[in-house]
Amino acid sequence: MDQICSAAADKQKLLIQGHSSKRGWMTPARGDYVLDLTAHQGILQYQPEELVLTARAGTPIVEIEQTLAAQRQMLASEPPCLAGNPARSGTLGGAVASGLSGPGRPWLGAVRDGVLGVELINGKGEYLRFGGQVMKNVAGYDVSRLQAGAWGCLGVMSVISMRVQPWAETQCTLSAAMTAQAATALCAELGRRNLPITGSCWYLGVLYLRLAGNDSGVAAGIAALAAMGLAKTEAVPSLWQQLKNHEHRFFYRNENPHGDAGEGENRSGDADATRGSTLWRVITPPAAPQPEFLANPDQDLLMLWGGGLRWLYHHDAQAVKHYSQQVGGWCWALGDSLPVDPVSKRIMDQLGLAFDPDGVFAHPLDLGSTATPAQGGRG
Amino acid sequence: MVSPCLSQVVSSPCLVRHNAAMNDASTATSTSANSDGEPQSAAHQAVLKQLRSLLPESSVITDRSGLKPYETDGLTAIREMPWVVVLPETEAQVAAVVRCCAQHGVPVIARGAGTGLSGGARPHAQGVVLGLSKMAAIEEIDIDNRVARVQPGVRNLAISQAAQEYGLYYAPDPSSQIACSIGGNVAENAGGVHCLKYGLTVNNVLGVRVVLADGEIVELGGALYDNPGPDLLALLCGSEGMLGIVTQVTVALLPIPETKAVLLAGFAKVVDAGNAVADIIGSGIIPAGMEMMDKLAVQAAEAFAKAGYPLEAEAILIIELDGAEAELASLTDQVKALLQRNGAYQIDEAHDASTQARLWKGRKSAFPAVGRLSPDYLCMDGTIPRKALPGVLTEIDTISQRFGLAVANVFHAADGNLHPLVLFDANEPGQTDKAMAMGAKILEACVAAGGTITGEHGVGVEKLDTMCVQFTSAELEQFFRLKAAMDPQDILNPGKGIPTLTRCGELGGMHVHNGRLPFPDLERF
Repeated sequence: MDQICSAAADKQKLLIQGHSSKRGWMTPARGDYVLDLTAHQGILQYQPEELVLTARAGTPIVEIEQTLAAQRQMLASEPPCLAGNPARSGTLGGAVASGLSGPGRPWLGAVRDGVLGVELINGKGEYLRFGGQVMKNVAGYDVSRLQAGAWGCLGVMSVISMRVQPWAETQCTLSAAMTAQAATALCAELGRRNLPITGSCWYLGVLYLRLAGNDSGVAAGIAALAAMGLAKTEAVPSLWQQLKNHEHRFFYRNENPHGDAGEGENRSGDADATRGSTLWRVITPPAAPQPEFLANPDQDLLMLWGGGLRWLYHHDAQAVKHYSQQVGGWCWALGDSLPVDPVSKRIMDQLGLAFDPDGVFAHPLDLGSTATPAQGGRG
Repeated sequence: MVSPCLSQVVSSPCLVRHNAAMNDASTATSTSANSDGEPQSAAHQAVLKQLRSLLPESSVITDRSGLKPYETDGLTAIREMPWVVVLPETEAQVAAVVRCCAQHGVPVIARGAGTGLSGGARPHAQGVVLGLSKMAAIEEIDIDNRVARVQPGVRNLAISQAAQEYGLYYAPDPSSQIACSIGGNVAENAGGVHCLKYGLTVNNVLGVRVVLADGEIVELGGALYDNPGPDLLALLCGSEGMLGIVTQVTVALLPIPETKAVLLAGFAKVVDAGNAVADIIGSGIIPAGMEMMDKLAVQAAEAFAKAGYPLEAEAILIIELDGAEAELASLTDQVKALLQRNGAYQIDEAHDASTQARLWKGRKSAFPAVGRLSPDYLCMDGTIPRKALPGVLTEIDTISQRFGLAVANVFHAADGNLHPLVLFDANEPGQTDKAMAMGAKILEACVAAGGTITGEHGVGVEKLDTMCVQFTSAELEQFFRLKAAMDPQDILNPGKGIPTLTRCGELGGMHVHNGRLPFPDLERF
């Protein structure tokens, strides 16, 4: 807190930093000093029968996962532990700030859904507590859940309470070969039925479904899906783990999988396969049609969330943006700034000022498609 | 996560009594042939003239009989006659009204079905009530993407009714769902019996269109599972009409569960029921719903609804399990075993719809049932961590004996959302104040146990003072800055939700200090 107050006094900018596991994902933020939160770690409270875990923001996700696993529980939103340096694969604060939900999002909830409460320090150096440890909390504005996806632009999170979820009794993966189009159609149909599905992935011409529930429910689900041609598979043993942590080889086609903003022009490793193509994270209504420009979906497409999340490689940014807009979704090339409409951006900027009136925090949420260039001070 | 800075809470001057019967949706019928009431000031006349030019005649109400239904919401103790009510029919009209009010600096009070329990829709003397009841169309049921796009005036239950033929439904089911509007649900982040498993409104809404304080329209989200930037959609849920007016909601639809089982368990001791709850959750089971009632509530409910509740139980649990046929049998067995292990001396089981409805009937009519026990009651809304439940109930019992007023308790056991119902007689001198002081003490006990002062009914005007207990001045100021960021003129539902610091200071509700106080001595009688 002292660091923040002195930075405010000196009109310096502080860069909030955890593990920087998602450094390549966003336009880099520039600060004069680093506010390093990695030492600010530790699980403060965890009681399995309360379904709540409270920890300091610098606590590694890996540590939280291990603690929960010992009680057969998990974070429902399955935030990523990004590979590279296992010891710095992501903190709780980073998970919430980046708001990246895992492969079970439509069935198990988003990161945002798991946030119960946040203690944060605003740009005035004030220590504030919002939310709590219970799910229902309509006292005041929902500042806690607002932090999800804020990438640090609304203060520094210090302590976070997350709702946790019990493991299912049993889990398995089924698969069947089909086109991407057929996969989204099937997922749409299955979504209307009582099946214990908690994940879907389409890759290289195969649809994978994750089933999780109690023994009898899963057994019945397997039988029902067998009638549709889906069979148990162990083809990719740690598929869901790989997807969650972005370790899946789909992400490693290019030399620098998540792009380093400064090396955009070097994104294509293999001239033949990728031809200068960029990795795009495209969010669409799950049943949206496939983009026509995908000449080679088997190579270029990875679909999750029943079709609601489509990672794809393509060289033509305009085509991707046009497609996303047409189907009512949005797209983001890692390393670029987030695309936000002007009105929302205005709201976010104003909210940023509400939490950080003196512009102490440097954050990567440069929503910069509009006029004011972010220079380090605030417009 | 809660401020330990408790201090003497003075009873709110506004709340007097909570009518036992829930108000039905009040839709205006401005069929009066009388001449419109003339507003007092020139400013109001100017606004009225502009409103009349923006809206059809039937959408502008100024006559007294037409205005009367809008003077209150579900919190009938608090009434304020508005000078005008408008009922726009389109989003464009909503935006135009807000722009007009912004221009003239006139407050806008949004109103759904008027079933809210915290006075959030109470009119403002200078303000315009903007009712969304005419915007009640279900625009689309998209079964492939499993969403429904609806206007804000659509009743909560109507969404599920419309989706039923496709095998889908909308999960959040506040007990007023037959009447309450989805726009109101968003404003209050409404929950319901099934929120343990299926979440609150915020967890089931994927998109909204909002008219902001300056009349600008923004679309947040859509039929999408993810959105860029800080979660504005989440911010809007529970913002009680203070950050924007919702003109369209995109809700997530879920497959209707294949089958359900309802269990009713009687316990000889309250703490056993609490332990059973913890045990069930601890074993990895999340029931669709889990409700607890204490003896007084059970007896009242049984007299009213004749649901077959065990009258001698100190506490009962009503548990609903849902899902596919295949999974339900073993799930039910598991839960029954856990109930027995924790001392349930009676377990009834229902697998057919009518028996299930009967078992639920008592809980769902708990409020009116308790209302028959005494002329008045105060319905408190607090939330505590599950493990604190037995302790808080003991504390409530102590408080009840200290004040000499009976209290019946019903709650969403699985997430500790409490509704203590304080029984009193407003005609007896001093009892109203006593009831309110007792209610405040109960909420203090919730906060002390690590909870919050409102689980689902919102803050509105009713709980402004106890907000002073839960939040520090810095936090309240942060709320104000946030509000000012979105509504610099403070025209959207002003005076609700967040208490001003002067209010906290004046009423002695909060000692303002730089840091946090250690726990002050509690008042002793």
